[in-house]
Formats: sequence, C-alpha cells, structure tokens
Amino acid sequence: MSDKNEANLIDIRAGQDVSFFDLYSIDQLTKEDIDLVFKVARGFREAKTAKLTLGKGCTQINCFFEPSTRTQASFDLSAKHLGMDTTNVSGSTSSAKKGESFIDTVETLDSYNVKTIIIRSSEAGIPEIASRHVAASVINAGDGWHEHPTQGLLDSLTMLDYFGTNDMSGRTVTIVGDIRHSRVFGSLVRMLKKLNATIRVAAPNTLLPEKVENFGLETFSEIEEALQGADVVYALRVQEERGSKGFIPTLREYSKTFGITESRLDLAKKEAILMHPGPVIRDIDVHSALVSRHQKSQILRQVENGMAIRKALLWFLVHRYDGAVKKYERI
Amino acid sequence: MKEYRNMASILIKNGHVVDPKNNFSEMADVLIQDGVIAKVGYGITDVADTIIDAKGLVVSPGLVDLQVHFREPGREDRETIMTGSRAAIKGGVTSAVAMPNSTPEADNQAVIEFVIKRAREVGLINIYPTGTITKGQKGGLLAEMRELKNSGAVAVTDDGSDVQDPETLRKAMEYAKTHDILIMSHCETDTLTGGGVMHEGWVSTQLGLPGTPAVSEDLAVIKNITLAELTGVRLHLLHNSTIGAMDYIRRAKEKSNNITAEVSVQHFSLTDEECLGYNTDAKMYPPLRSSDHVEEVVKAIKEGVIDALTTDHAPHIEPDKLLPFADAAMGSVGLETSFAVMNTYLVEAGHLTLEEGLSLMTNKPANIININKGHLGVGADADIAIFDLKRDWVVDPKVLESKGKNCVFKGKKLKGKAIHVIVGGEVKMQNEEILR
Repeated sequence: MSDKNEANLIDIRAGQDVSFFDLYSIDQLTKEDIDLVFKVARGFREAKTAKLTLGKGCTQINCFFEPSTRTQASFDLSAKHLGMDTTNVSGSTSSAKKGESFIDTVETLDSYNVKTIIIRSSEAGIPEIASRHVAASVINAGDGWHEHPTQGLLDSLTMLDYFGTNDMSGRTVTIVGDIRHSRVFGSLVRMLKKLNATIRVAAPNTLLPEKVENFGLETFSEIEEALQGADVVYALRVQEERGSKGFIPTLREYSKTFGITESRLDLAKKEAILMHPGPVIRDIDVHSALVSRHQKSQILRQVENGMAIRKALLWFLVHRYDGAVKKYERI
Repeated sequence: MKEYRNMASILIKNGHVVDPKNNFSEMADVLIQDGVIAKVGYGITDVADTIIDAKGLVVSPGLVDLQVHFREPGREDRETIMTGSRAAIKGGVTSAVAMPNSTPEADNQAVIEFVIKRAREVGLINIYPTGTITKGQKGGLLAEMRELKNSGAVAVTDDGSDVQDPETLRKAMEYAKTHDILIMSHCETDTLTGGGVMHEGWVSTQLGLPGTPAVSEDLAVIKNITLAELTGVRLHLLHNSTIGAMDYIRRAKEKSNNITAEVSVQHFSLTDEECLGYNTDAKMYPPLRSSDHVEEVVKAIKEGVIDALTTDHAPHIEPDKLLPFADAAMGSVGLETSFAVMNTYLVEAGHLTLEEGLSLMTNKPANIININKGHLGVGADADIAIFDLKRDWVVDPKVLESKGKNCVFKGKKLKGKAIHVIVGGEVKMQNEEILR
C-alpha cells in the first residue's frame, strides 16, 4: 500500500519546497508555506499509519531538554512512519548544571549527520539559537513560554478542515485560560493572525502577558461575553502551580469563573467547536463531559492532525527538490 | 599631586578645546607642565617637549565614568585592572569608579587598598574604588563604611544587589550621613523583578521571556529617595532607566541638592528590541527598556535632570553569554564606546550640544564623587582626551581591549573616537595606540 500512498503524496507535493530550513516560530511561515504544508498534511492524514520510505536513510534526534510524553511520541512516530531512524536525548539546558553548553550539545548531535533535531526546552529561544549552529533542520517542539509551532499548525488545520475553508476571515476564536505561560497560545495567535481570524482572549489579568493586545486581539474578563457568537472555543490548561504562585486564588475559583461548561459553550455559535491542546485537567479547564465525547469537541482530532502536520514538515525538511542547503555557523 | 614632578611638558595645538566646567569652548592651545594644566589660550608659544597637533579634533577633559566593573580581585578571567584600564584609555576615560562586586567583595579595607595599589602599578588611569553598604552585599549587617572611606573608597554601594530591607537601608544612610559618605544605589525591587530577564513589555511577550517590570525600578527609586530625604545622606542613583525613575528624580531634585542620578549610555540609545533573536549581549540590569521609556530618559537628560552618563562596563567570559537567555550573565562592556554613543545618540541626534554631553561625562560626575577632575582649569590634573568627532566606525567586539567581548553595541555604526589620551600629564595613547 505504501507505494500508492507515496505516489499520492508526491503528486500532492508536486515538486514544491517550503521557504524555511528550521521551524522555531510561526513568524517564519509565508502564506504559501502554510497552504503547502496543510495540503501535504492532509495527504499524510489519509495515509494514516502506513510505513513509508520518504525519509529512508535519514536520522532524527528528539532532543527533549524538558520532559514530554505526547509531543515526543508524536514526533518520534511521525519520523518512523516516514522510514527514518530516531533516537532520544534528554537532559538540561540549565546553567545550574554547570556542564556543557546546550549549543555544544546540539553541535555534537549534529555531527552524527542527522537530518532533523527536534528540540523542546523549558527556556524560550533554545531552538532558534540552536538552529543557527547546526546543519540539521531544527523543529521547535515547545520552548518555554514562547512557541510550539507544530501545535499552532495542527490547531489551525483542525479549524480550517472543520469549517471547510482556507481562511478564518469572519470567524471568531475565543482563547480561554493561562495565556501568559502558554507557548501553545504563542503559536496559535500568530497562526490565527495569518489566517485573518478575529481573536478574543479571556483570562484573569494575572494570566495575560504585557501588551498582549499588540497581537491584534481583544481581551475579556467575562467569559460569557467572550464566548458570545464564537466559532471556536479554545481552552488552555491552567496548571496547579500557577495557583500556588498567586496568579489565581484557587483552582476552584478559576474553574467557576473561566471553566468551560456545557451552558457556557452554548453561548458560542451553534456549529462552534471546542479545542484544547491537552493534557486537559477535567473539570478545571473544561467540564469533563465535554472533553472527548461531546460532538463539539475536536480534541482528539487535534491529536490526529498533529501526526499529519509533523510528517509533512519532516518530509519537507529532509527532502528538498530545489537542492537548497542550509547555512549555519559553529560557535 | 601638585608637587614638582619634573615631567615632560606637552603642548596641544590648534584643537577645539571644550571645558564645560569653565564654560570654555573655542579654538585654543593647551600647555601641560609638571602633570597639570599650565595654560589654556590661543597661540601659546612656549617650548614643550611634546607637541600634539589637534587640528580638527576636540580637546576635552578626560572622561569620568562613575560605574565600571573591573572584576579584579577574583575574576581576572573576565577583566583585570590592566585590561579594564586599557579599555578606558581607548574610550578617552581617564577616571573610573570601580564597583565593589569583586571576589571577595570590597566590604573591607584590604580589597580597597588592593585595588588602589593595583591601579597605581598599572598606572594608566585613575581608579576610584567603592566599598559595599552591607557585608558581602547581602543586605544585612553594615560594612565598616568609615574604614572603607579612610582606605580610599569614594562611595559605598551594594551595586547589583540593592539593599531590599528599608530598615537596613535607613540605618545605612544614617550611618553614612554621620561620616559624610556617599551612597550609590542600584534601584531594584527583588520581588517585583522575580524571574524577570528583560524589560517586561511587548518584546518580552513576543519572545516568551519573563519580564522585569519598570515598577521594580520605580519603587526602589522612591524608597531610596524617601529615605535619603529622611536621613539627609548624599545619594547617587545608579543607571536609571524608567519613566517613573525620571519623574521621581526630577521631583526629588527640586527639593534637595543631596540627590544625584546617572543614566548609562545604553539606556538612552537602545531599546528592548535589541533582545530579539535572544541576543544575550542585550541582557542587563536595568534591562534595555521600550521606546517610551527611552524617549523619557532622553527628555530628562535634555532637561538637566540627569547628572552623569556612565557605562556600567560589565565584562563577561564567552561561556557565560552562550547560555539560554534566561540563564545568561547580565551586562555589556562599554568603556570603548561610551563617548561615541553619547556623541552619536545625543549630540548628532540633536538632543544636546557637545558641551552639554561632555559635561555629563566630565565635570558633573567628578563633582558627585568630589574629585578635582573633569575640567581644564589652570592647575588641574592634566587628564585629557582628544576626540575625532567625525570618525565613523562600526563596533567590532573582537578588537576591543576589554577581555569582555560582550558588547551590546556590536555592529552599530558610531561617530566619534578618542585619538590621543593624556593622564596626569603623561601621554597614554597617541594616534589610537596605547603607549606601554
């Protein structure tokens, strides 16, 4: 079956390339890049778990300086479905560990002639800085509070496919929860701007970063107002530690004020969808009954699209038709 | 310093002599004899051992920098008194106030005496050490301030760690007042800074980095000013950078002559956008602020609210900057660029006259630490910097004299460069070459 799948994917891609070698921020993407990645990702979604050979002979290192289960598994399986070899590296970027600089670490990994290095870190900027020093393509799998670009892409693909459109003009996305500490928000908001969505955020002021309105969005303190007429309700996780750090009095109060319940969801448009990047804290972020069984919930669809997006990206990065070579500089 | 030293005489010919303290700014010659200024005037015909042709150049008092970090003793891998002095000479800085955060800290006479001894051995510039306010800069027990002063400290400061507890700061000020000791305060409220690593604003939000709010500085400025007013101590506020700080300083100076304030040159020239791309050379405290703060700082400088421009010269080794932004060391070197930054961003930009700009780097800072420097009056120590105002250059950290190559002005095009430098009547740099 893989032959047919591959022929189909090659057909869809039609010899085209993306404009970037690394992906650390949605800011790097052109509209053409986004359309192309989505087109190919849809092809991968059709191919499901088929074992392909599009990345055969290429190696990927999943370099997770911060622990992850879901994203790491998704990147790892995506590479394997493409026929790539993968290995995992964990560690710390922290200077507190007084060891090797993270730049030396990635340069060493790069010397194994790997094609892709997937980096997650608890500090912002690590993937971007690392990308300047390695020949391999770096994909940001989440850096601090900054961005998580593949999440932003899969979220957008989920929305566009649900509404059967290429653009979010005239549609309202309401994002609820811990905006300040969310790299998911960092990528999602940038994607939504590129897709011309109307963006609303609802959260206590303590969970909004400075000048968040500069992204081109409207902020709300009343969740009901923010949900009114929304096409997409996107809930972000509120972590328990935020409570102990005084951003919110208690999870109880947060849940009562901003938690997504069935009746609140009814304030959104009839055909509105519910999304969440996971892991969902049931009954805090989102009422338990809404998580996976509710017809509005797209949460599991998001996970499925994640694999497709990652496979598409990996294929673009490990195989270029235009033969362009990435420039980089060792420290 | 005034005794007969039988030194070679120097005649600086045909320069544009700018001596802000004496309101002098015209074409003139300067004669130096026995280490001091002997004559300033047009067409001096005295015979001199050395003649310097300053045609087309500006002859200024050597610059006085109230805030540098020379790292010696303890972190000679970052900077030494020798390399720091060479960097100063390159920038036309002839007097520098050394911050006490060496290893060990200058919370005792031994460190002060060591710095003074090393500075004399190196013999390039005048170095004025400062002591700490509290033992180990820990904000608790007071350091032996009077002993520090008697050993040669020109002020006490806890430098990068502001005394957090108001009660401790009050006692420190009362004690300093008793012995007429100048307190220098770095204004920061630790709990508001929290984990902040750059200015809190639109850029920190885009980069996903924890921000340091401007109010962290504002509240500390209010605390320091209020307690200085209560105790009557002489207070100098180090590197101020916020709209709030400018406002409170302006108001405080209307009431009291005991309060002075400086701005470091990066805070009127650069914004937090330098941090984009996770540029760790742009990481410092106070952080580079957003343009609204920078505009207010420039306004305050123009209005005369600010008494001195400094570098906060902070050299680091490369590995300490090759870290995740949040973990990287704070600070930038600046001695070799400060005059050019002032000239480019204040004078060339039309905010200040050259005389006003130089005054903030010569006689006014000298007044704050009460030294007879920073002017060209007859009998003054012959510390002179001769600048080429027209020289365009691009900052290349690799060629800096400082051991620290962490320069936030890397790649910036600046105008103005020191060509010749004289300290204590001796030529230390001629045609941009340090003489050693």
